[in-house]
Amino acid sequence: MTKTISLTLKVWRQKSGNASGKFVTYQVPTVDVNASFLEMLDVLNEQLLLKGEDPIAFDHDCREGICGMCGAVVNGQPHGPQRKTTMCQLHMRQFQDGDTITIEPYRARALPVLRDLVVDRSAFDRVVQSGGYVSVKTGQAPDANAILIPKQDADLAMDAAQCIGCAACVAACPNASAMLFVSAKVSHFALLPQGQPERQNRVLEMLATMDRERFGNCSNEYQCGAACPKGISVSNIARMNRDYLSSKMRLS
Amino acid sequence: MTTLQSGVPSGPIDQKWTKHRFDMKLVNPANRRKYTVIVVGTGLAGASAAASLGEMGYNVLSFCFQDSSRRAHSIAAQGGINAAKNYANDGDSVYRLFYDTVKGGDFRAREANVHRLSEVSVNIIDQCVAQGVPFAREYGGLLDNRSFGGAQVARTFYAKGQTGQQLLLGAYSAMMKEVAKGTVRLFTRREMMDVVVVDGRARGIVVRHLVTGEIESFAADAVVLATGGYGNVFYLSTNAKGCNVTATWRAHRKGAFFANPCFTQIHPTCIPVHGEYQSKLTLMSESLRNDGRVWVPKQSGDTRSPSNIPESERDYYLETRYKSFGNLVPRDIASRNAKMVCDEGRGVNGELAVYLDFADSIKRLGQSTIEARYGNLFEMYERITGEDPYSVPMKIYPAIHYTMGGLWVDYNLQSTIPGLHVIGEANFSDHGANRLGASALMQGLADGYFILPYTLGHYLATAPLDPVSSRHPEFEKCETLVRDRISQLLAIKGSRSVDSFHRELGLLVWDECGMSRSEAGLRRALDKIPEIRDEFWASVMVSGSGAELNQTLEKAGRVADFLEFAELMVTDALERNESCGGHFREESQTEEGEALRNDTDYCHVAAWAFSGDLSKPVLHKEALTFEEVPLSQRSYK
Amino acid sequence: MASSSIGKKQVVAITGLFLILFLIFHLSGNFLIYKGPDAFNAYAEFLENLGAIKWMARLGLIALFLIHIVFTAMVVIDNRKARPQSYEVVKSVIKRSWATRLMPYTGSVILLYLIFHLLDYTLADHSGHNSIVNGQAMELYGLVYNSFQNPIRVAFYVIGMTAVGFHLTHAIQSVMQTFGFYHVRYTPIIKRVSLVLGIAIAVGFASIPFYMMFMQSSCVTGG
Repeated sequence: MTKTISLTLKVWRQKSGNASGKFVTYQVPTVDVNASFLEMLDVLNEQLLLKGEDPIAFDHDCREGICGMCGAVVNGQPHGPQRKTTMCQLHMRQFQDGDTITIEPYRARALPVLRDLVVDRSAFDRVVQSGGYVSVKTGQAPDANAILIPKQDADLAMDAAQCIGCAACVAACPNASAMLFVSAKVSHFALLPQGQPERQNRVLEMLATMDRERFGNCSNEYQCGAACPKGISVSNIARMNRDYLSSKMRLS
Repeated sequence: MTTLQSGVPSGPIDQKWTKHRFDMKLVNPANRRKYTVIVVGTGLAGASAAASLGEMGYNVLSFCFQDSSRRAHSIAAQGGINAAKNYANDGDSVYRLFYDTVKGGDFRAREANVHRLSEVSVNIIDQCVAQGVPFAREYGGLLDNRSFGGAQVARTFYAKGQTGQQLLLGAYSAMMKEVAKGTVRLFTRREMMDVVVVDGRARGIVVRHLVTGEIESFAADAVVLATGGYGNVFYLSTNAKGCNVTATWRAHRKGAFFANPCFTQIHPTCIPVHGEYQSKLTLMSESLRNDGRVWVPKQSGDTRSPSNIPESERDYYLETRYKSFGNLVPRDIASRNAKMVCDEGRGVNGELAVYLDFADSIKRLGQSTIEARYGNLFEMYERITGEDPYSVPMKIYPAIHYTMGGLWVDYNLQSTIPGLHVIGEANFSDHGANRLGASALMQGLADGYFILPYTLGHYLATAPLDPVSSRHPEFEKCETLVRDRISQLLAIKGSRSVDSFHRELGLLVWDECGMSRSEAGLRRALDKIPEIRDEFWASVMVSGSGAELNQTLEKAGRVADFLEFAELMVTDALERNESCGGHFREESQTEEGEALRNDTDYCHVAAWAFSGDLSKPVLHKEALTFEEVPLSQRSYK
Repeated sequence: MASSSIGKKQVVAITGLFLILFLIFHLSGNFLIYKGPDAFNAYAEFLENLGAIKWMARLGLIALFLIHIVFTAMVVIDNRKARPQSYEVVKSVIKRSWATRLMPYTGSVILLYLIFHLLDYTLADHSGHNSIVNGQAMELYGLVYNSFQNPIRVAFYVIGMTAVGFHLTHAIQSVMQTFGFYHVRYTPIIKRVSLVLGIAIAVGFASIPFYMMFMQSSCVTGG
């Protein structure tokens, strides 16, 4: 009853951050089309393990598309060919019998490879540390309904806040830029009254960190927005550009 | 035998926490930076605790096994968070939330803890809004509320279907703010391997650096575990793949009592298992039951496609059995009934699945209304199953979702090891035998923002804490044990994968200690678990070395602990010969087949001590008294 | 401003914007060629005689070009370095527009073109023998006419203008995004305007070499 397909996988193998890597080809003869992409890798890994080979290392956790831990470049596209879908939610019915699938890690200077498909995304944490918050301490909050927020603003802020920090935007960007990630965080707060007092410093500091972490910059190609599994809009980048300009002018 | 001191303060229930806060000792603000606190786990509880302690001026070390502290599994909670704000003006109050939670927990939680939880629930919402959590709003700009999980008041705050994500990102951002200030130091990709106890007090942890494989020691004045639940003992659950029992289990082995491990919650609306390779189960929000009708064919062996099964040959079993609640009966009842009909062979195509059918709602309300309400869930369903739920009824089946049991803690959230505090899902405290919808997020944040920061200060102010460094012999001893265990796992070089053992264990406890438990089944499991464990240590295959990023080794360590823990869970289930909340003992049911609680013999917390022999844990009981909410039997007929 | 990558981009954008304005001004002046030699030469002379203003404008333009080029180079180099190892399979998520991909290249072509262009006309002797058509001194108009009798030069100019067209179709909408204007309804319109304007300016400039090449010399002097 269940349909299976046969695949050839070309997977990037690299022992550690310092080691050099190469592509290794694996034949996977019977892949259930109802399996998820990561489950397909699980099956392959189990076979490798029992043959005494090292399984392919890949990051993953929730496997329901929200934690942002998984992600690799599948046939040239971060998270694979299905739009608005993380790699863990990608299912094998998206592929054809006989396909060759190339799986490689995100490539960016700011996201160094740790092993196989696992990359170090701690740069994102450091970007957030430089301003991705409202400076309120526990206990200082006024009543929740003391702050009125128009529904449209709250909804737009929510759209930006949905970012799962998976770094697909960086992977998709021809310049390995983190503009979509940074702008989603900047926009989330810029759209809310709670974010206003620190708005100007926030955008300047977060962008300075983005540069320090050696991400590239934007050439307005919008690959990021298209690759984002949460469909975060590039309008956030425009908003951040605007905020940057006005902050720079006001603060200088 | 240790007597369990819950430390619940005296006085009227609504004064206890206020009084207790006054009675507790404080640490002078100038002295706080001299204290180091370790927080393990960065979910709602861990992140909010680390942030709050950092704000107060303590020196906080925060650990998580993920690559970033933003990824803990709290992030996957969909529905919402309860708070007794009464914004909906429908008669809600702190007392009502307290009452509902005690009753919903089937009278197996501590009243005083639950009342405190309800009290601080209102502060949580304030705090989160101030952080910029984009909760859903009405057109007037005020916060929107919905009713959730059968509650009769609308007290649930939500952010689309991603409330957990937004709350966690709020707590994460608060913590990042403290990292920038230097009060919190982050240690990501670290797995806690053991708690270090010096002179009877928790004074640090030993971790494995998951990238380099290095074994590292960290000393502190107190240790906080916020490491979540143990649902993955069942292998297939809605938990994230990384969720594990290791931190709490290792603490248990060091002297922390494990309370009520048999209290596990099963969620009725998950996408059914579809193959042997399946790695996890996906939850579909409970809200679907508001408009979907649950049914199976009346005849077993009926493999016609659902559209060919006429109305008269369908069994809408929840609607027939529970006239007043119908499809909206509580989680445990909906789950158990699904199991019953599937055990009768009437599951969809004879498999473990029942229909959740939206055809009537679509006819009544139109597809666009259903799309507006559940569009994203339907999309997710289609992505996973390849079937369009607008035209074919969804298939659902229950799955393990949350664990109410956990390390025993007193009113101050301290375990039986002084200095070891446990918060969030990792402790046993507030949900009794069954957790209500939208209460997990509430408890995690209550513990982390508003309870632990006070009670931990009291501990630090009163405990005699001599300086201890990570070069203390206890740390060395612990590191050696950790290294030995890793070498042992690597040396087996057997013929079976870690996952195969995990699957075997999961299937066993799911069958015998899942939705329905019997003495015979539990005894079978107790016989079988040690066998699987022995087999594991004889023939598991872990490749690679300990000095590298080795995900197989990580899994092996976790599964080894699940194999020990499972025995305790089953023992507890066997010991508790009553049905309550998520724990259904076949020996204890009414004539109609409903759960039958036994308050005479089991109105207590079962807290287990590690004896050194895995098969002989020692039971301690903390008696529960109900002064505010009179003991009564639940009925949803 | 120039310390951050966005700042650099915004410098590129603002200088680019001024250069576009200059191009529009330049093009409208060039169109006088269609009115005949007198109008065109008068216009050229007017510009020549502006004196100090002319030099200020020239210096300004040079500065704009230099800043535009230097900052672009910095941004492009940074961007290249941001991905030291490229992908094995290159398949973009959405179709990449050639105009966007080729920005640094079209820019380089334009720079090359510009040098020749300045040597050709701005710095050339407007009354030398190259300006003589059918034995008549036709000043700059004649110079332009004569030079475009050579099909290779025409081709070179058309290539230059194609580069300008490509460059502008991306540039105009990109400037809007870089300065933070994004609107669900207007941004697609801006993209279309950007395309049309880019093509229009390029075609406008490129029409002149063709016009000159196909015009009879008698028409030049007869007019």
